[in-house]
Amino acid sequence: MSETESHPALALEGELNIYGAAENKLRILEFLSRAKEAPALDLSGVTEVDTAGLQLLILAQREAESMGTSLRLLDPSASVLDVLQLCNLTTRFDVSGALECNP
Amino acid sequence: MNLDNAQQTFIEESRELLAAMEDALLTLETTPSDADAINAVFRAMHTIKGAAGLFGLDHIVGFTHVAESLMDRVRDGEIAVDDTLIALLLGCRDHISSMMDAVDAGEESTSEDMLTTGMGLVASLEVYLGHPSEDGDATESPSAPSGSHTPAPTTDATGVENVTWHVSVRFDQELLRNGFDPLSFVRYLGTLGDLVHVEVIADAMPSGEEMDAEACYLGFEMRLAGDLTKGDIEDAFEFVQSDCTLRILPPNSQLGAYLDLIQDLPEDTVRLGEILVACGTLTERELEEGLRIQAGGAGASEEMSDDQPIQPLGEILVEREVVQQELVDAALDKQRRTRDAKTREARVIRVDAAKLDELINLVGELVIAGSAAETLARRSRNRTLVEANTTIGGLVESIRDSALRLRMVEIGETFNRFRRVVRDVSQELGKDIDLVITGAETELDKSVVEKIGDPLMHLVRNAMDHGLESTERRIKAGKPAKGTLRLNAYHESGSIVIEIADDGGGLDRARILAKAQERGLVQPGQSLNDHEIDNLIFEPGFSTAEQVTNLSGRGVGMDVVRRNIDALRGIISLDSNPGQGTRVTIRLPLTLAIIDGFLVGVGEGAYIIPLDCVVECMKCDPAETRCQDYINLRGQVLPFLRLRDLFGIEGSPPRRQNIVVIQYAGQRVGLVVDHLLGEFQTVIKPLGRLLDHLRGLFGGSTILGGGEVAMILDVQELIRIAVQRDAGAHAETAASNQTDLV
Amino acid sequence: MTVKDSHQLQSASADTDDEGTNQYLTFSVAEQMFGIGILAIKEIIQYGAVSSVPMMPDFIRGVINLRGAVVPVVDLSARFHRRQAEAGRRSCIVIVEMCEEGSIQDVGILVDSVSAVLEITPDEIEPPPAFGAGIKSDFIRGMGKVDGRFVILLDISRVLGTEGLIELVAPVVAAASNKTVSSG
Repeated sequence: MSETESHPALALEGELNIYGAAENKLRILEFLSRAKEAPALDLSGVTEVDTAGLQLLILAQREAESMGTSLRLLDPSASVLDVLQLCNLTTRFDVSGALECNP
Repeated sequence: MNLDNAQQTFIEESRELLAAMEDALLTLETTPSDADAINAVFRAMHTIKGAAGLFGLDHIVGFTHVAESLMDRVRDGEIAVDDTLIALLLGCRDHISSMMDAVDAGEESTSEDMLTTGMGLVASLEVYLGHPSEDGDATESPSAPSGSHTPAPTTDATGVENVTWHVSVRFDQELLRNGFDPLSFVRYLGTLGDLVHVEVIADAMPSGEEMDAEACYLGFEMRLAGDLTKGDIEDAFEFVQSDCTLRILPPNSQLGAYLDLIQDLPEDTVRLGEILVACGTLTERELEEGLRIQAGGAGASEEMSDDQPIQPLGEILVEREVVQQELVDAALDKQRRTRDAKTREARVIRVDAAKLDELINLVGELVIAGSAAETLARRSRNRTLVEANTTIGGLVESIRDSALRLRMVEIGETFNRFRRVVRDVSQELGKDIDLVITGAETELDKSVVEKIGDPLMHLVRNAMDHGLESTERRIKAGKPAKGTLRLNAYHESGSIVIEIADDGGGLDRARILAKAQERGLVQPGQSLNDHEIDNLIFEPGFSTAEQVTNLSGRGVGMDVVRRNIDALRGIISLDSNPGQGTRVTIRLPLTLAIIDGFLVGVGEGAYIIPLDCVVECMKCDPAETRCQDYINLRGQVLPFLRLRDLFGIEGSPPRRQNIVVIQYAGQRVGLVVDHLLGEFQTVIKPLGRLLDHLRGLFGGSTILGGGEVAMILDVQELIRIAVQRDAGAHAETAASNQTDLV
Repeated sequence: MTVKDSHQLQSASADTDDEGTNQYLTFSVAEQMFGIGILAIKEIIQYGAVSSVPMMPDFIRGVINLRGAVVPVVDLSARFHRRQAEAGRRSCIVIVEMCEEGSIQDVGILVDSVSAVLEITPDEIEPPPAFGAGIKSDFIRGMGKVDGRFVILLDISRVLGTEGLIELVAPVVAAASNKTVSSG
């Protein structure tokens, strides 16, 4: 993934749910505060997303926008895509690499 | 979401619903048009269907759906209730119940038998669904389209043109922490119908640091298409109904309804309008019109005069569609009623029985510790300390009573179970039997309720089987053809009394006596009064083998019933009037945990007598008691037991002993004890397996204020011993008198 | 839970080489040394405040209040030799947890004195002698050899097994209540 080399990306892995929500929130905010431009979240390793996880993605995007940049979701896994599609949010996020990686 | 817990709740609630359904069906048997009962049956099917869907129990969803559709038609008056239908629905209830059992037992697949039963029932249901009753054409006019049928889009100016449901939901912030995931509800809605559009509302979420990652901020605006009812949608959120704000608009709702929605929601009006448009629920034009009306703007509504204040949105709807005022009222009224029902439901808290037991145990310890403190205070002779302790003691007593009351349940639920039993068994026996239940609101300890079911079942079946005569015999005896079985309950001096009475033929005393003699339970020549003969049927070894039928004769006799009642520290007795009927009376303690006791000393030990049973205490006059085992108590003979002798306590008794007069179920006996030690709140501790074989004399043990253990006397058994002894003595004196005569 | 389970395992087969099961609490009763696997033992308390219970056989010393629970106390000396133990300065009650038919019951055993916890490996244990130990061989799980002395390792479920005890208790109770009835 060439994007990950040229731009900062934070990889979230495993379950993106209520159990790790507080910790993930800190990681995301900390990452966004460091990332100067075009920050991205690498979601290829996410196995599960619940409401708490979805909230974090929305929060991340909002924070990025408030900093004058936009957030990209890299390579979202099937479970991420499933939630985004269910909630009609695929177009709200800048999603890359989804088609190639999800047969 | 913790699925295991939720599923357990689902199963429990379903069982309650099924019980309610059975009740309602039995009510319908007598009053086939009872609207509440019809609704209850519908609600049971409907709620179970919805909840089963949440857990992916498709077979239950499928089956209940058919039954629900049928009940929907019954509700609309399209299908009339008759006995065949009731029998069919009872069958459905039983089938769902077995499916629930299978789910509860963790069975993954459905058994062959169950599949066949299910298919048979569905086929019968389909017959009803395919053939509406004769007066069906009267209701076929499209006057009142039911919620489940999507009417064609209207062209009414104020009607909004869409055929989808609009579902708006906001959640309590604590929802995630409570283990629920709102997304799963959205997903579930997607299985009920077609989720045309979902809009995530994240407006409530604070930014950055302030956002609590474990709080739920999201809301959803959804458009849902499909053949479903409002109830279906509500049910999807049933488990979080108290933690969410749910608004559902049916297809083609009045514009005002959407405006109401906009007004109700926490978000900004313009933003919401945009959301509804984004959802496709409203068109731009509709939104504009709505907002214009809301603003009281000119043009759209000429009938409104300019000087009128801005109208609440609800009124706009009514004003513009005066004709539908009644409908709106009705709808509002219905909504309010369902809301009332829900708040009532919410006032009942489900508590794990184990937690309650834990609390009661702790209260028990508190009572013991309180007694200890009070004893110490009294010993210190410090008045203020004694007073303080007395206050605490009073409070502890109140806490004890409240804690015990938590476990109290009404006996009605247990009684109601018998309605079905009586119905089925009377059909099986070909007897016409009416069950009359009274005192259903009488409360008793849950642990007692759980153990009383089986003995009651046995007694009820026995009454139907042996007590009540066949219809022909009843008519011949000049009695009403329909037999009556009564279940009654009431409180009496710290006990609950349960009566099972029938108006049948009564017991055949001659046959009972003959059998008892044959079994050696009664010695030849021993004379018994009627009551004693009647109660012989509770004696172990008195088998009613001759009368064994497939109902009550399933291997257990009445002695088992008595043993069950004994185990509950209860007493059972029977009264019978030849030709008029039989009444079995069960007397049970209200609770098994704590009693008020009377403490007495015998030898070195201390013993507790349940205070309920203590009638009076008196000094023991050695002159009167030295050579006989009874005293003259105000002209009455009072037999007594010397506890020192009974317990085999050695040494000489103190000079002045006391007699405690105890009474149970009408019989009085005196107990000679060394000392009277006063009242004592007694927490009953089980004796444990090893000492359990002392049962009979001791009902349990308790711990005194000083930490010593005291045994609780079993009054019933002591009275039995005294009576038996006297009977023996009488027989002896009778025998010796005879020899004297000879 | 695990404690009980492993105890059951232990009594099921004496050969079990589970960790910890080789430890035995030793004590003396009527000048004989006995041992019980420590996993069955809940606690040891000083002898005292035993409330007597009427109509119990001699070997049921009475009941004690163990922090709110009523626990029966068995007199081992009376159980083995029909001679009631004299309560002395070193007398103790060993609380043993019994698990029978799914229900758990604590039983106290009165001993003259508690000695030590000893490690006795299976190869130091000999099968119970047919006679000569002075107590019923049923009660013995094995003879542990410690420093040239024999320690009688008790099969506690046999000694305290309520089935056995009940057989002894029930007739006593019945006799007592009948006696009063007939004497009256």
